[in-house]
Amino acid sequence: MLASEAGTLAFPILTAIVLVPIVGALIVALMPKSRPELPKMVALLSSAATGAMTIWLMSSFETGDSGFQFVSKHEWIEPWGISWHLGVDGISLFLVVLTGVLFPLVIAGIDPHHDERPYLAWLLMLQAGVLGSFLSLDLFVFFIFFEIVLVPMYFLIGGWGYENRVYAATKFFLYTMLGSAFMLVGIVATVAIAADDLGKTTFDLVEIAEGASFAASTGRWLFFAFAIAFAVKVPIFPLHTWLPDAHTQAPTAGSVVLAGVMLKLGTYGFLRFGLYLFPEASFWSRPLWLTLAVIGIIYGAIAATMQMDLKRLVAYSSVAHMGFIVLGIFAFTTQSMSGSTIQMINHGVSTGALFLLVGMIYERRKTRKISELNGIQKVAPVFAAGFMIVMLSSIGVPGLNGFVGEFLILTGSFLTARWWTVVAAAGVILAALYLLWAYQRVFHGEPDEENKKFRELSLKEGMVLLPFIGVIVFMGVYPKPVLDRIEPTIDVLITHVEAHTDYVEPEPTIQIGVVTDHGEEGDHGEEGEDNDTEHEGDEDDGDDGHEGEGD
Amino acid sequence: MAELVWLIPAFPLVGFLTILLFGRRMGDPLSGWFATAMVFASFIASVGVYSDLLGMDEAERSHVESLFSWVPVGNLQIDLAFLVDPLSITMCLFVTGIGGLIHMYSIGYMHGDAKFSKFFLYLNLFIFSMTLLVLGENLLVTFLGWEGVGTCSYFLIAFWQTRESAATAGKKAFITNRVGDWGVMLAMFLAFSAVGSISYSVLNNNAEAGLLSETTATGIAVLLFVGAVGKSAQLPLYVWLPDAMEGPTPVSALIHAATMVTAGVFLMIRINPVLAVSADWVGPMIAWVGAVTALFAATIALAQSDIKKVLAYSTISQLGYMFLAVGTGAYVAALFHMITHAFFKALLFLGSGSVIHGMNDEQDMNKMGKLFKFMPITASTFIVGWLAIAGVPPFAGFWSKDEILLFALADNTALYVLGLITALLTALYMTRMVIMTFFGEAKWTSFANDDEAPEVAEGEEPIETHGAHGEFKPHESPVIMLIPLVVLSVLAIAGGVIQLPSLWGVPDDVEHTLESWLHAQVIFGEADITGTWADEHLGLLVLFAVASAVVGILLGWLIYQRKRIKPWEPSLFANGWFYDRTVTRFMGGPGRKSFEGVAEFDSKVVDGAVNGVAVAVTETATQARKGQTGYVRQYAGLIGIATVLLLGWFVVIRGIL
Amino acid sequence: MLAQVDTFVGPEVGWFALSPMLTLLGGALSLMLIGALTPQWPKGMYATYAAVVAAAAGGLAMFQWDDITDSEPTTLVGGAIAFDTLSMFLTITICAALLLVSLLTSDSISGTPNDGPEIYSLYMAAAIGAIVMASANDLIVLFLGLETLSLALYVLAASNRRSGESAEAGIKYFVLGGFASAFFLYGIALIYGATGTTNISEMVAVLHSSVDVFHADSLALAGIALLLVGLGFKVAAAPFHVWAPDVYQGSPTPVTAFMASVGKAAAFAAMLRVLVIALPFYRDDWRPIVWVLALLSLLVGSFLAIVQNNVKRMLAYSSISHAGFILVGVEAAAHRAGEADPGSGMPAVVMYLLLYSVLVIGSFAVVAIVQRDSGGDASLDAFKGLATRHPMLAIGMTVFLLAQAGVPFTSGFVAKFGVIQAAADEHSYAIAIIAMVVAVVAAFVYLKIMVSMWFADRADDAPRIVVPFFAGLTVFAAVIFTLLVGVFPGWLIDAADTVTAYAR
Repeated sequence: MLASEAGTLAFPILTAIVLVPIVGALIVALMPKSRPELPKMVALLSSAATGAMTIWLMSSFETGDSGFQFVSKHEWIEPWGISWHLGVDGISLFLVVLTGVLFPLVIAGIDPHHDERPYLAWLLMLQAGVLGSFLSLDLFVFFIFFEIVLVPMYFLIGGWGYENRVYAATKFFLYTMLGSAFMLVGIVATVAIAADDLGKTTFDLVEIAEGASFAASTGRWLFFAFAIAFAVKVPIFPLHTWLPDAHTQAPTAGSVVLAGVMLKLGTYGFLRFGLYLFPEASFWSRPLWLTLAVIGIIYGAIAATMQMDLKRLVAYSSVAHMGFIVLGIFAFTTQSMSGSTIQMINHGVSTGALFLLVGMIYERRKTRKISELNGIQKVAPVFAAGFMIVMLSSIGVPGLNGFVGEFLILTGSFLTARWWTVVAAAGVILAALYLLWAYQRVFHGEPDEENKKFRELSLKEGMVLLPFIGVIVFMGVYPKPVLDRIEPTIDVLITHVEAHTDYVEPEPTIQIGVVTDHGEEGDHGEEGEDNDTEHEGDEDDGDDGHEGEGD
Repeated sequence: MAELVWLIPAFPLVGFLTILLFGRRMGDPLSGWFATAMVFASFIASVGVYSDLLGMDEAERSHVESLFSWVPVGNLQIDLAFLVDPLSITMCLFVTGIGGLIHMYSIGYMHGDAKFSKFFLYLNLFIFSMTLLVLGENLLVTFLGWEGVGTCSYFLIAFWQTRESAATAGKKAFITNRVGDWGVMLAMFLAFSAVGSISYSVLNNNAEAGLLSETTATGIAVLLFVGAVGKSAQLPLYVWLPDAMEGPTPVSALIHAATMVTAGVFLMIRINPVLAVSADWVGPMIAWVGAVTALFAATIALAQSDIKKVLAYSTISQLGYMFLAVGTGAYVAALFHMITHAFFKALLFLGSGSVIHGMNDEQDMNKMGKLFKFMPITASTFIVGWLAIAGVPPFAGFWSKDEILLFALADNTALYVLGLITALLTALYMTRMVIMTFFGEAKWTSFANDDEAPEVAEGEEPIETHGAHGEFKPHESPVIMLIPLVVLSVLAIAGGVIQLPSLWGVPDDVEHTLESWLHAQVIFGEADITGTWADEHLGLLVLFAVASAVVGILLGWLIYQRKRIKPWEPSLFANGWFYDRTVTRFMGGPGRKSFEGVAEFDSKVVDGAVNGVAVAVTETATQARKGQTGYVRQYAGLIGIATVLLLGWFVVIRGIL
Repeated sequence: MLAQVDTFVGPEVGWFALSPMLTLLGGALSLMLIGALTPQWPKGMYATYAAVVAAAAGGLAMFQWDDITDSEPTTLVGGAIAFDTLSMFLTITICAALLLVSLLTSDSISGTPNDGPEIYSLYMAAAIGAIVMASANDLIVLFLGLETLSLALYVLAASNRRSGESAEAGIKYFVLGGFASAFFLYGIALIYGATGTTNISEMVAVLHSSVDVFHADSLALAGIALLLVGLGFKVAAAPFHVWAPDVYQGSPTPVTAFMASVGKAAAFAAMLRVLVIALPFYRDDWRPIVWVLALLSLLVGSFLAIVQNNVKRMLAYSSISHAGFILVGVEAAAHRAGEADPGSGMPAVVMYLLLYSVLVIGSFAVVAIVQRDSGGDASLDAFKGLATRHPMLAIGMTVFLLAQAGVPFTSGFVAKFGVIQAAADEHSYAIAIIAMVVAVVAAFVYLKIMVSMWFADRADDAPRIVVPFFAGLTVFAAVIFTLLVGVFPGWLIDAADTVTAYAR
């Protein structure tokens, strides 16, 4: 988040990451019909190449550097002060990697059944769009990518979706577009107003965030213009109803991508643009967001419990999970925000995998109705086991990825948003409720005639599922490497917020050595007092180690 | 050796992974043997560490062995670390020890089950999680194990998942436990916000150093207790444990009697300094919850006909004792009872398993009786367990229960009375059980089992002896199942030696072994009862205790053997005070209704609004469209009107005004 | 008086500066003449001729452009014609439109009795009128251009002799157009009465020289009101839009494309001349009206479009909502009208005009092609399954529709962005947000068309779609332009910016 952009690279790797899929898409689109096997190869190749590049990005990412890396910046639309400005930091890095890796898997693993060429082309377009929005550091560039992803997704849902696809696609398109309508005005207004401070018109995120300062009222208006777009995308209650339809009607690939990366555009937007550009406004409005987030957590879980359609259930579970992420973001603590950032990845992996599995179920049974499924564990134990692992990660069982994120979010939020967190934690119970209940109905019991024929997990499917499960376990057991790369950026962001508000992050500190020793009571006292003074800065519901109102 | 503590969880983990990969190929019984070996290996490791600690002097007996940094963010630095101290090692010893025995037993019990290897897969995973739970250096590692054992228990309860009841029971167990986990999580958050760490040493040292405000301590203690109530099946969250008997009997023995359910008690002992500095109503609260649960469950056990259900409620009741101990600051006693209980309850469960096994999966005691002469070893070991739990000296249960009652009296007479009554009831229902099962007249001759046998009904290939239909004789179980019974019965007899009270005839050097061993861990919280009336009149208490046991047994003998007294088993008891039923009804009724309401709200109101906008737009458009008639005169008219309005604006409003 | 007559000296004309117009004039007359004398030319020759003339005129206009940017903008013909970048930008726009439309026309009328030189010379005549409107520096001249354009359009609207609809469209347009022109003319008269001149430059000078006298002079204000009626009618801004749907639907599709592009461009140029350049003095009086017109056009255009099921009619309404968007730009321009730094309103407007012209021609071109093979049917059903019947065409149409919806990487986004940015610069956020929100409603219309093209199954009896060369060329060119500008709009924005820099 530093204005100083370290590590500018000779080879514009980020630009390449965005362009390769586009090129792939064009090639695929222009493929001759005579060679039906080619498109898939090309698509796989280009998306895999992109994935490889993102992985290279991760490996050569400067851990501990909080600033933007691999920055590439070129004038694009000079008269409007727009530049092709890409960069990656702790917040975006893993989202980029996830996007890079998810698509090849999806392309390799899921068969569209008809019109493969356009399908693949759209998928690649989508990949490019998502990557672009995660990488861009220019408001204009971000917006166009943020907006363009609608088109491929619209066609994927509308063209390869299920019975109600046109309605869902249209709803998705218009709902999201409505959100971005406000953001567009917000962006141009931001730029126009910032121009007075900067003395020039520029859409450069960093320059505006570091250079311009908005009057409280202005900042808040602008922030909300952005926030609406992000809130729709996340989605935050009550703007979520496009999601179940889109998820349910989208083809498996669409659902996976939607849950895996596209929802993150919203939460990412909050972190990258909302908080960075308008720290004052975001901090000022945090009670609203915390409340909506918590409502979303409980509400989404309850709604999920009552769904008859497996995909719909997972969709609502997404609403709940995204609520956690929003909660973490607006709790403004290192733990909670790092938690949110890593949870974006975890949710992407877990829910993505869930949709993949639900898709496989649909492939076999041609139904998503929970009532029509039963006893699958008996006929397909391996499949069931895979589903179980993914489900547990989604429930948030320690040792799997989902827990790490939720734990960090809640731990951090507890410091600044205690009572919200207490309620949110209850969402963990509900998560177990709806998923286990669904699992029981679908997998346990005696299979009936229809389900007896349920095919066991095929090798190919297993190969696609394996990476997901690998990440699920790894991130649950050893998230350190990820957290180490995320935290510095988060710290700087919080400092940025602190600089623009009267907020002081509460940082509980250990007051006494770990080794048992009764000989030191004396100086503990003093340290205790230090701790107290440290806590003076907390705002209203901030926590104080000693008065801890914890029961 | 202490630095090799990681071996303790490592072995079962290896077992888990190996069976995960090659389980199907290893098959029956090899995978079972392998798993058993792994657990015993882990037991040996524990013994190694134990002897190592023995060598040191008290101050140095607490080590932190950190493997790697797990969740490091800002000030929150959580390592995956183990805390090696007498408490954790004691837990490890009996967890792995008894675990090993039960593994061994299972080889026989599960023989022929289609999912044989999978069973041991889960079992090893469970031992792994359990060792993590007890070895955890901080709340999070414990929580990792905590949830791990919970998940395994879910798997194992629902092991015969094709059976609806089993699946439901598993789900119920998991979700009920989640309610408790909620408390544990909040406790962690509170701990971190208060002391900047969730490691036990920091937490306890802060408490001991008086740096932990009473409110915070109370918060943490109470929240953790909520978790403990869930895990250890106390009121009001006990409902899952009786249903958990749907699982295979070894599971009930291992998880739902000996080890997992005691985790809550362990956690309380772990944080006893925090308990000590928390508000003074916390201790009594815990004690009362324990005492009431103990009595409550005992009454229910009195009227159960399912052999495993009796043991389940008895477990709840015994756990109540442990919480009574915790609440009264008798941490050593709590752990002591935990261990002895593990011995005899495991023994009883395995015995019942052996019976069920011999009866072709018949669990109803009304269809048993006279089994003594068909399965003598099972019966005799079972009888040992009976005497132990009934509190007959010198069996293990007697010593531990006695210790608890002592502290209870020192704290509050009412608690003591409750405890005593419970003791009597315990003796009574256990006697009832033993007589119904092994003595009296045989009620099974008439009974030819077909549909009763769930596994057979499942069509999963049952073990060969189960093939016999119609006229059959109960049979003794294979040796592999009997060895653990024998070993456990020995422990159930002699287990008391680890913590003998200072009574006449007890040589001083063997008194309070466990207490002195745990001294450093519990000293801060342990209640000091020296000089209280109870302590003075220890002998008297012993007499009361013995008396209650004897009375209970006698009553039982009169009622069920001699039939002198009509058995009093009100449906209130049989139905567990209708508690579970009420809860279930509420969940299925209003609870579900409200959920459906939310879902309804979502589709009707929230989404309705969205679609409503769309409809509204179309409607207005359709109306407006009517204006477009196609008649030139109309268009001209419209333009005219608009012109007039414009003129009005310019000339009148802007111009003249 | 007489003496003056004796000493009459014709104004300095500057023939070369007028060359674009003269070229078109020559083209029109010559085509009439030769066409009348020679037998029917082979297929597409008339169109090619018109196209070449248009290209030539456009090319010349570009020369002029350089002249202006090198030197200074001036006036011609005694201050009657403004010789500035604004006029040139629009001249180029109009010529481009003319070129595309001519190419499109040839295919849709070839083989019908309407095929012949007339329609093209009418196009060119109309184009002249349009250019005159765009470059008029005198209200009378402006009216002259307006009438030239209109008369040509009336005839063009009715030019399909076979179709009653076409005739009806012609009549409607004629009657209402005359009605509106009358208001406009009377408005000019009133302004003259108030300011004593019809020349824009003088008008500005007069109004500025004598503030107190003229301020809030009802005469002038009434004049503005009537001018607005005329202009509002021409740009088809609600509530003066009523004619547009019927006429657009009734006229032959290429003509519709011509109206929607050239007609709009010229009318908006005129609006800029009259309001922003000539009457900045009264900007506070007329700006609110522009605001209202913008709002109404946006609402009426997008709302009514979604309940149509004839694609031509949909596009007609959508063109009304586009007019609303452009008016947002005009409103922005109004804030700084007459100031040294006129802001980014005007550039945004002219850029929108150019980009939209291409878009709308492209869209109508596709419609025309589809109609050709489905017996003139332009209903949504005619588009069902177009993706399978002719993927390329469907893709083309999709690009145009997405662009009109304002999706990034298309010219349409650049246009909308420019306008919104201009509005934001002037802090008129309300209308900007309304415009963007309404755009979502409009997007629904475009989605509707895309749905029937992509997601609806083709009817079994759906005719085969053949894309004739010229029409295909039109579509192709439009698509390329749309995407190119969508990705690299820089050069165009620069050009548009000079419009204010070198405006008079």
